[in-house]
Amino acid sequence: STLTEPVSVTLARDARRVANNLQQIVVFNSNRNDPARTLRDWDLWGPFFFIIALSCILSSTASTNKSTVFAVVFAVLSAGAVSLTMNVVLLGGKLNFLQSLSVLGYCLFPLDIGAILCAAYSGKLYRSAMIFATLLWSSWSVYPFVSTAVRPSRKALAVYPVFLMYISMGLLVLA
Amino acid sequence: MAEEGQPQQNYSNPLTAFFHVVFKGSAIAFYILCSFFVSSFIIQFVVTVLLAALDFWVVKNVSGRILVGLRWWNEIDDQGESVWRFESLDQQSLERLNKKDTWLFWWTLYIAPGIWLALGLVALIKFNFDYLLIVGICLTLGVANIIGFTKCRRDAKKQIQSLASQVVTGHMASRLQNAFNF
Repeated sequence: STLTEPVSVTLARDARRVANNLQQIVVFNSNRNDPARTLRDWDLWGPFFFIIALSCILSSTASTNKSTVFAVVFAVLSAGAVSLTMNVVLLGGKLNFLQSLSVLGYCLFPLDIGAILCAAYSGKLYRSAMIFATLLWSSWSVYPFVSTAVRPSRKALAVYPVFLMYISMGLLVLA
Repeated sequence: MAEEGQPQQNYSNPLTAFFHVVFKGSAIAFYILCSFFVSSFIIQFVVTVLLAALDFWVVKNVSGRILVGLRWWNEIDDQGESVWRFESLDQQSLERLNKKDTWLFWWTLYIAPGIWLALGLVALIKFNFDYLLIVGICLTLGVANIIGFTKCRRDAKKQIQSLASQVVTGHMASRLQNAFNF
């Protein structure tokens, strides 16, 4: 039982879970055909750090109103994740609320990388290319989870808003 | 971490109790005092929310286990349904827990979100919506722990009761057997 384990074991277990989730969702999914199984071990720490990171990066590169930018980005990302989940649920999809929050949060990781790279160098073409690439990566990661959760006829309805949110995030990073 | 064999008057897990309280307290204190020290809202936000998140983790994974012997988490089973899982120490260990520890644990668990609620009302009255965001997050984390541990405690009581009734029926069955064997 986990009641009597030392604290370091608990910490290590949670850290390993975040790393595992990150790898499974964003990099390479060993059970591509069964996304529900991948998400069995969801956690919200990863998404938490990624949202904060993205908000920090975007606000540090903003020329004016840094704190407003931060609060707005954070609020938009969280509200966006919540409403996207409601969208899937209302379309009759079978995705657990916290699970999908977890996935949407983890798929922000490529955008985080894109934002860091954009902050480093500010050539217009370079930035657009970076954002485009990371956007593709985000969308590619998130697609299997969302699409398998709803019926095939409703797939586009569920997937489209997700892409929209990531695209707008990408534009926000570009601007 | 074994409990020390100290008399019941003292805290038997002072380090854990300290950590249980320090993150909650510093989050609240930082939120209230931050405008005197730090001018950037971002730093205020990140530090407060980070402290609240750390407190959530510590309470859920460490002090809950050590101070009251309860643990809760959420799993998704094969059908995709979310299942609450609870773990609790057995009856004897539960009774051996230090009373001061448990008192501290439950009281601070309930009081901290209460304070956040009051702070949230203040922010609402002052129309500080970005501070309301901070309060909202800290409140959510606090309430999540309250719900989890209350459910866990209820489940533990139920388990103890069912175990007790099993023991009683087991006793009665063996006594009946003994009676019939003569």
